[in-house]
Amino acid sequence: MRELVIILLVLIAAPILGGLLSGIDRIITARMQGRVGPPLLQPFYDVGKLLGKERILVNQRQVLWAIGYLALVITSLAMLCLGSDLLIIVFVMAFAAICFVLGGLSTKSPYSHIGSQRELLQMLSYEPVLILLAIGVFLQNKSFLVKDIFARPEPLLFSLPLVFVAVLLILTIKMRKSPFDLSTCHHAHQELVQGITTEYSGPYLALIELTHWYELVLVLGLVVLFWAQPVWAGLLLALAAFFIELVIDNICARMTWSWMVKLTWTVGIILCLVNLGFNLI
Amino acid sequence: MEMAEGLIAIAIWLPVLAALLCYFGRSYGLRNAIAWITGIALALVSLALLAIGPFDYQPSGILGVSWDQVVTVADFALLGLILYIGLKNKHALITVLTLIQLVVLVYFDFFTGEHTAVNPAFVIDNLAIIMSLIINIIGSLICIYGVRYIAEHEEHHPVEKSRQPRFMFWLVIFLAAMNGLVFSNSLLWLYFFWEVTTLCSFELIGHNLDKEAVANACRALWMNMVGGVAFILAIVYLASSLPGQPLAIRTLLALPGGATGTVLFAVALLVFAGFTKSAQMPFQSWLLGAMVAPTPVSALLHSSTMVKAGVYLVVRMAPAYQGTYLSDLVAVAGAFTFLAASVLAVTQSNAKRVLAYSTIANLGLIIACAGINTPVAISAAIALIIFHAVSKGLLFLSTGVIEHNIGSRDIEDMGGLVDRMPVTTIIVAIGVLSMFLPPFGMLVGKWASLEASTQLPLVALMFVLASAVTALFWIKWLGRLMEGEPGLARMKPEKMAPHYVVSLGGLALGAVVLGMFVVPIMNKLVAPAVEVAYKTSGLFTQGGAIVAQTASKTIGAFTAWPLFVVLAVAILAFWLLFKPEKASIRPIYLCGENTGELDSTSFLSTADQAVESSLSNYYFSSSLNENKLNKVGNVIAIMVIIMLLGVTVI
Amino acid sequence: MGIIQKSQLKSPWVLHYDCSSCNGCDIEILASLTPVYDIERFGIINTGNPKHADVLLVTGGVNRRNARVLKNLYNQMPEPKVVVAVGSCACTGGVFYNCYNILGGVDKVIPVDVYVPGCAARPEAIIDGVVLGLQKLKEKTQMKSEEVAK
Repeated sequence: MRELVIILLVLIAAPILGGLLSGIDRIITARMQGRVGPPLLQPFYDVGKLLGKERILVNQRQVLWAIGYLALVITSLAMLCLGSDLLIIVFVMAFAAICFVLGGLSTKSPYSHIGSQRELLQMLSYEPVLILLAIGVFLQNKSFLVKDIFARPEPLLFSLPLVFVAVLLILTIKMRKSPFDLSTCHHAHQELVQGITTEYSGPYLALIELTHWYELVLVLGLVVLFWAQPVWAGLLLALAAFFIELVIDNICARMTWSWMVKLTWTVGIILCLVNLGFNLI
Repeated sequence: MEMAEGLIAIAIWLPVLAALLCYFGRSYGLRNAIAWITGIALALVSLALLAIGPFDYQPSGILGVSWDQVVTVADFALLGLILYIGLKNKHALITVLTLIQLVVLVYFDFFTGEHTAVNPAFVIDNLAIIMSLIINIIGSLICIYGVRYIAEHEEHHPVEKSRQPRFMFWLVIFLAAMNGLVFSNSLLWLYFFWEVTTLCSFELIGHNLDKEAVANACRALWMNMVGGVAFILAIVYLASSLPGQPLAIRTLLALPGGATGTVLFAVALLVFAGFTKSAQMPFQSWLLGAMVAPTPVSALLHSSTMVKAGVYLVVRMAPAYQGTYLSDLVAVAGAFTFLAASVLAVTQSNAKRVLAYSTIANLGLIIACAGINTPVAISAAIALIIFHAVSKGLLFLSTGVIEHNIGSRDIEDMGGLVDRMPVTTIIVAIGVLSMFLPPFGMLVGKWASLEASTQLPLVALMFVLASAVTALFWIKWLGRLMEGEPGLARMKPEKMAPHYVVSLGGLALGAVVLGMFVVPIMNKLVAPAVEVAYKTSGLFTQGGAIVAQTASKTIGAFTAWPLFVVLAVAILAFWLLFKPEKASIRPIYLCGENTGELDSTSFLSTADQAVESSLSNYYFSSSLNENKLNKVGNVIAIMVIIMLLGVTVI
Repeated sequence: MGIIQKSQLKSPWVLHYDCSSCNGCDIEILASLTPVYDIERFGIINTGNPKHADVLLVTGGVNRRNARVLKNLYNQMPEPKVVVAVGSCACTGGVFYNCYNILGGVDKVIPVDVYVPGCAARPEAIIDGVVLGLQKLKEKTQMKSEEVAK
């Protein structure tokens, strides 16, 4: 019964939270650029508008993958809230991202293909850090279960500080912010059109926007794990991480995918390894 | 137990009989009937074995001659035959390696005195039953597929005298050898069956008789003969260091305090033999070369036989080297192969080579699990053996169907196949997704192996990197298959021969159903096999989930059911909520320069010429060079193997 | 007015296509994205993709070569959509009127909802034009829903 309540709460509360966060994102970004920016509810207006638009597709399979993406992101978020195995959560997240990639690959559009291939490379970049995060948690807790993290009195941040930095790095990739906004974003329309989402429009694009809200909450949820007790501290930490990402987004140019892979496979992984090495000693 | 013993006889002799009938019958109708009947019979036999459960079996002699003597004679005949092959092909390595084995075998049989008889010669335990299920069900499906495939193959590559009977002979006899191999308790018998599988794979790889096929077959033969030499040396070492004890797997596993000294060295040699057979680095090249063979051969070698014999031996021996440095190094060697082969797979555009590298990688993972050597790791290894066999068999068979239809095995030629061959493509998709994603079975193994690897940081790191790379090469391939023409797809299911429907359908259904029932499989099938030597399987069921535990503390949980429900809901929602069939169709975006109406993927160039837009995957050819990577990988792997043998001597 | 209709007025995503403009109007369109004019205040985003766009901003007169492209882009946009012709050339052909290669204003090829005059059109006028376009959008959807009601 308690589990059902949590799942329902995730279903309803997460998109509201995610939408508000991306509204805040747009306002803060505008202020950093000396602009006023859109209203707080702008992301909701966008999705509302998209839902009312004509249904246009290149072929039907696009929708199948988009729904798979949404369903699996919700699943991984629900699993996170239910305190399941962190490794499985990471794997379900990977499946979700793969659905998104396949959605982009399901047409013959060159632009969505570029976006999808880059999204795959993004997965290649962040996946090792996420799994190393899970292993780091295991070395601390002797358990992969998220609920054991919440049962732990002192915050993980103190024992996994470098892993936290690496997670901040991949958070940029997961949130598709500069310098890693290379698979799809509103600013790259000169070279990418819209990358992965090029061939989605109207309600189907709304579906993907919705998924991105869930995903935002999910990745910030991973940050909360670093300060799980008390939870409000973790939430503050997540908000701080969110703000840092916005700063990074606004002070960076878009970089190439090869730079991204190199950076995460060297700096990201080494940060994790040094941290885990110290923990083992 | 009369019936049970009869089943063992059927499992070994029925394929032999069927193979002979195939060879001498020389008619498609007969081969066809034999493949179906044998296949169904063998599948039933393995299911019956599962129902009966573990037992021992000591076959009595035949015509006053003991089976031990028959096997000895057969050993010499087999080595003689391989020697003949080596001489005929003027292949020095094969000849020398065979001669070494012959000399050692002569020494062992005639100059080391009387050996204690092994009793029982066959031990059918839980692991053997699992292996026999894989061999007899998946192997039989591949044989059924093979009858049809090889007939089509000869239409594509006409020959003067049909080589189909010969092909089916070796394909079917492979099953007999594998059955014998997994049931054997006697190391000498195991050695015999081991060499039979080597010979079978040589004959099958060289089937096409062209230069490349013969060269690759020879390479497979000499590399496996290296393993054979290691095997026979191990037997001699064991005979001298365990005087008076029967040369049996049971003896090795029952040693008080595990293997030490020369026994441990002998075990290391056996593990090394397993490495050659399962194409671990630096022996990966024979399995890649084996790709020249017709597809059923690849499917058989990769999923249910040959390479599985190698990992079977390594997993089987695991309790003997538990807690030694050897064990840690086995884990490192396996994990290294897992990583290197995964990276190599990324560079490939040939679908069969991608599959081959992925097989090598997964075998590496299995061996690494055996090396980690905790109950959870061994459970993971056995689970991986099961699920990998199903998914990989499926993928190879469907690649074969694709190859016969489009005349290419290159991924870049498979663009948009989902419109032309939707059924096959969906089957490939099931195969690919079940290889590395939740909630399918392979992931249970991967999850458990990662959870178990945390005590060996280096191994864990290689696991992490390799898992990240895995998704890349699979999705690149699947993505090309899945890209569709614009327009509401009216997918017309293609027509398939009943052989293909049964084999592909059976395996696809198997991949999904096994995934759904992963909890009972781990519980009823895998756990007992691990508990024999490890007392606990480390994995338990708890409210529909698999739970990993160490010292009564839950460390992780895997739930499959909810994920299947989520996927089903997603597919339902697709039809109900978004009514994609009501959407209007527009062409893809090509900067407004599309030439035609709906289905156009071409655009007008600045010179008003229609240019077809072309798509291709990344293969990282500038940063990742297959040959260089192979060389570096081989050097590292050889060093690890030298260390692995070295630590047992010191 | 439903949420969706309200949203439609609050989130016009713009596709900007330069037919054969002298770039004067294009510069002004881009200027309206800058902090000084900040069109994101109205939820306007400049997308590069007709499939995501609600408003098509066209600058320059239509010539024989790009009429086809303009039509294609227009057809790729999902309904409801609005076309805004920005600048004298886009409205009528401007100084290129009757030129051998110019068909005329944008309305020779696709239906135009709002004409923004000026050479070059000022950013304020462009923003005004888009907002006016939204009124047309509202009328369109209302008409459509009335039709459905009938």
